[in-house]
Amino acid sequence: MTVSTESASGPGPATTGPGRRASDWIARRAGRLTAGRALGGLIGKPLFWVLLILFILVPCASSLLLAISPHLFDQQAPGQGSQWFTLTYLRQAFTGETAIAITNSLWVSGAAAGLGLAIGFPIAWLANRTTLPGRRLVAGSMWLILLLPSWLPALGWERIVQADGVMYRLGLNWPWLTHAIMGPFGVVMLLGLRSVPFTYLAVTAGLAGLGQEFEDAARVHGAGRVATLRLIWPMLAPAIWSALAIGFAETISDFGVAATLAYNSNFTLATYQLYANINNFPPSFPGASAMGSMLVAAVAIPLALQARALRGRSYQMLSGRTRQAVRRRLTRRGKVAALSGMGLFYAVALGVPGFGAVSASLLGDYGGSFSITLVNYRALFHQADQLGPLERSLGYGFISASLTVAGGFVAAWLLAQRRQKSSKVLDFLLLAAVALPSVVFAAGYIFAFNLPLWSRFGINLYQTATLLVIAYTASSLPTNARVLVGAVSQLQPSLRDAARTHGAGETMAWARGVLPVVSRPLVMAWLLTFCGVFLELPISQLLYAPSNPPASVAIEDNLSNYHFGVGMAQSVLAVCIALAAVALVMGGYRLLAPAGWRRIGAATRG
Amino acid sequence: MTPITMHNKFRILTGALAIGAVALAGCSSSSNDSGSSGSGSSKVPLVVYSAQGYDHAMATAFQKATGIQVKLDDNSTGPLLTQIEASKNNPNWGLLWVDGATAFAGLDAQGLLQKGFEPNVNWNTLGTQSLPADKSYTPTGVTLMAALVYNKTKVKNPPTTWQQLISPQWKGAVGMNDPSQSGPTYPFIAGMMNYLGGVSQGETFYSKLKANGLVIHPTNGPTLQALTSGQIKLALVQSSAGIGATFGPGSDPHLAVRYLNPVTILPSAIGIDVKAPLAERKEAERFIEFVLSPAGQKVMQTGDPYGDSLYYPVISGVNPLPELPSLASVKTQVIDPYKWGPQEATINTWFDANIVR
Repeated sequence: MTVSTESASGPGPATTGPGRRASDWIARRAGRLTAGRALGGLIGKPLFWVLLILFILVPCASSLLLAISPHLFDQQAPGQGSQWFTLTYLRQAFTGETAIAITNSLWVSGAAAGLGLAIGFPIAWLANRTTLPGRRLVAGSMWLILLLPSWLPALGWERIVQADGVMYRLGLNWPWLTHAIMGPFGVVMLLGLRSVPFTYLAVTAGLAGLGQEFEDAARVHGAGRVATLRLIWPMLAPAIWSALAIGFAETISDFGVAATLAYNSNFTLATYQLYANINNFPPSFPGASAMGSMLVAAVAIPLALQARALRGRSYQMLSGRTRQAVRRRLTRRGKVAALSGMGLFYAVALGVPGFGAVSASLLGDYGGSFSITLVNYRALFHQADQLGPLERSLGYGFISASLTVAGGFVAAWLLAQRRQKSSKVLDFLLLAAVALPSVVFAAGYIFAFNLPLWSRFGINLYQTATLLVIAYTASSLPTNARVLVGAVSQLQPSLRDAARTHGAGETMAWARGVLPVVSRPLVMAWLLTFCGVFLELPISQLLYAPSNPPASVAIEDNLSNYHFGVGMAQSVLAVCIALAAVALVMGGYRLLAPAGWRRIGAATRG
Repeated sequence: MTPITMHNKFRILTGALAIGAVALAGCSSSSNDSGSSGSGSSKVPLVVYSAQGYDHAMATAFQKATGIQVKLDDNSTGPLLTQIEASKNNPNWGLLWVDGATAFAGLDAQGLLQKGFEPNVNWNTLGTQSLPADKSYTPTGVTLMAALVYNKTKVKNPPTTWQQLISPQWKGAVGMNDPSQSGPTYPFIAGMMNYLGGVSQGETFYSKLKANGLVIHPTNGPTLQALTSGQIKLALVQSSAGIGATFGPGSDPHLAVRYLNPVTILPSAIGIDVKAPLAERKEAERFIEFVLSPAGQKVMQTGDPYGDSLYYPVISGVNPLPELPSLASVKTQVIDPYKWGPQEATINTWFDANIVR
């Protein structure tokens, strides 16, 4: 259904005198507005595609093409190779250590995504649809998990279970636990736990659109709990597949666990092998690109499964009539079981890494004794320019998150148009970008945006805050769009049409008809990007503007040099600041958003 | 009137987004122009790529002394070299200041460094040994690789030769860094190969060390942490890191440092980008002269007192900090960076596949 701007305009026409002039003015203005909108409409979607191509496809392609054309960006100072075309590096990716690393990454990513779903789905359901005590804390804790860089939980676990670690010093002689954690099981566990927030966010967004009416309808027709679940489960398919796809792509591109727990367990993952290629001297960009190509290609697996599962179905069920779900009352036994499970999850996901990070920041002598000291925090506050990087990262996070949510919403909307070929292309492009390790993505930015050609046009973007923010945004947009697509695919066009029918203008129709129902997912998506950008390292290291280091670079500087304790203190402080920012945004939404916005997707006590 | 569809609304939104992003990029290019253009003017910003702990202090002191604006990219050696390699079609750096001559030899071989500059200073023996023949980089100090660090209350009789490390007495007790993550570790590996007579002899030594339970951690910090936690008894790390761990805040006073003969000299050095504008290269030369001046040496020795400041000077008349052990009775060796630099990727790959795994 379409609605003309005429029908939405204000008072009726005047025929003479000043009224006529006013009428003409309104008509001319409306005409200009309409023409402007038409122009915007005409160029909007193509321009969005141009931006995607420029800031996602071109950098990715610049990096990946090196796998078959090492000479491409190497003409003025050869060092990477003289071949314009070769398959040598791709062949190498299928042999020896590299092949083992890729195989490890593939099965670990699949297992971690599955584990993330197995844990994340019940948590999302318990927090959103039951009377679980403390359920209000679940969302905040998910942000805390997302805020932690993946190496932090890995280091925390290592400190506990390694030989002569905390566990042994406490008299717990459990070598079986050491072997379990310091190996594939521990790697899958940590990466799986890291996938839980993605599942939680995607399923929560999906549950928001799943009103009580569906459950009621099933129960009215005599369905039991299992039958009701069988009815509801397919409705959540977009969210579930999104969660699996993100979990797989995020895991396969993770570097934090690969470089710590997996590395120290002699269990090589592809991202570490790729890093070794780039960090060697001279770096082998073609070798890294070949591995990056393999990882990107691997994303086709969850995408194909997702496409097969969702083919030809509609999931539009979120409307203004969506009824608040009724929270299911948990029995005493149910509460005990649920709380025990949640407690175990938080102990493993937050307790151990929290203990690891805080204890490392409070021990002065490289952890040699158990004497607590604030010496690292004192040193932190006495070092010059320690707050600047944190302020900078807050700013970068704020801008990137805002741009990403706007772009992510558009991308999610385009993705929701499943019948179009362009949405399939977009789907692969975005998920492939998630799978591409950040260090390859960042190198692609240097190749693409530091060409002499750009300088000739007076555009020097490399090592400016602008390119850094663009890269943050481009790298966050794929995940963001995928988180939002669950909610956006549930939107019914009637929402906006209803507002327009009732006289709202274009903007007001969107603000009153659509924004309320997606406001919660949008806030979550904003926070997701903010958390990801705030302590992002690989892109920051390669693209940051000299003299303006972000927080992650400053922390890495301390950790990799001689100030391990100071670096850990800085990490703890950074996480606290970011958590405060998250609390501020969530609190602000709770206080400032109209009650109706918060009601949509929420549940009432049963 | 033209009807506005749901489709068009999104087009408008995407159009606005696109225009916003292009405007953002435009702002950046113009603001960046003002900072980077003007190669013909007398003073341009000097872009310093550095992995030194005292580089912030040095940049501030140099800027104050000369009025030349310094843009500092303070990063680990790996990312800095990655940036240089990835951007060599259109380089953005003025000078590079990192540890290890082998990396500079590699850059020199690719024609990325300005040759022929030597500051007017009085080198001591360490300085003379570290200066390359084509003067494509300038040493600013040296550390040693590797220093043997141990807990003197637990290890009463530490080893005195490299060969003792592969004896049963030290089975599972020795730890070192991974060369693919720790910049100074490749010169140590190359140094041992140089001392033992070649690559194959060196590979045999490290294979025996692995068979004796060698423990590998990524960098200096984690290796020292393994030492203090008791996982290992002997840590082979960069001398400045080892000495820094023995005193000052956050240190373990029970740790001690010893050098085994011969120990490899690891110069910290500065190289100038040959493609930088002439004005910036002249400023880079002034930067090097400032670093090696008495004022600059004072900044180096105070800028990172428990880390990189613990270096051995290369200028006559400048004494090392009192915490540094004397080199009088220590046999040092200098490896030829032009011989060992080109082998870095191959040897690191072998080490990663055969010793780390």
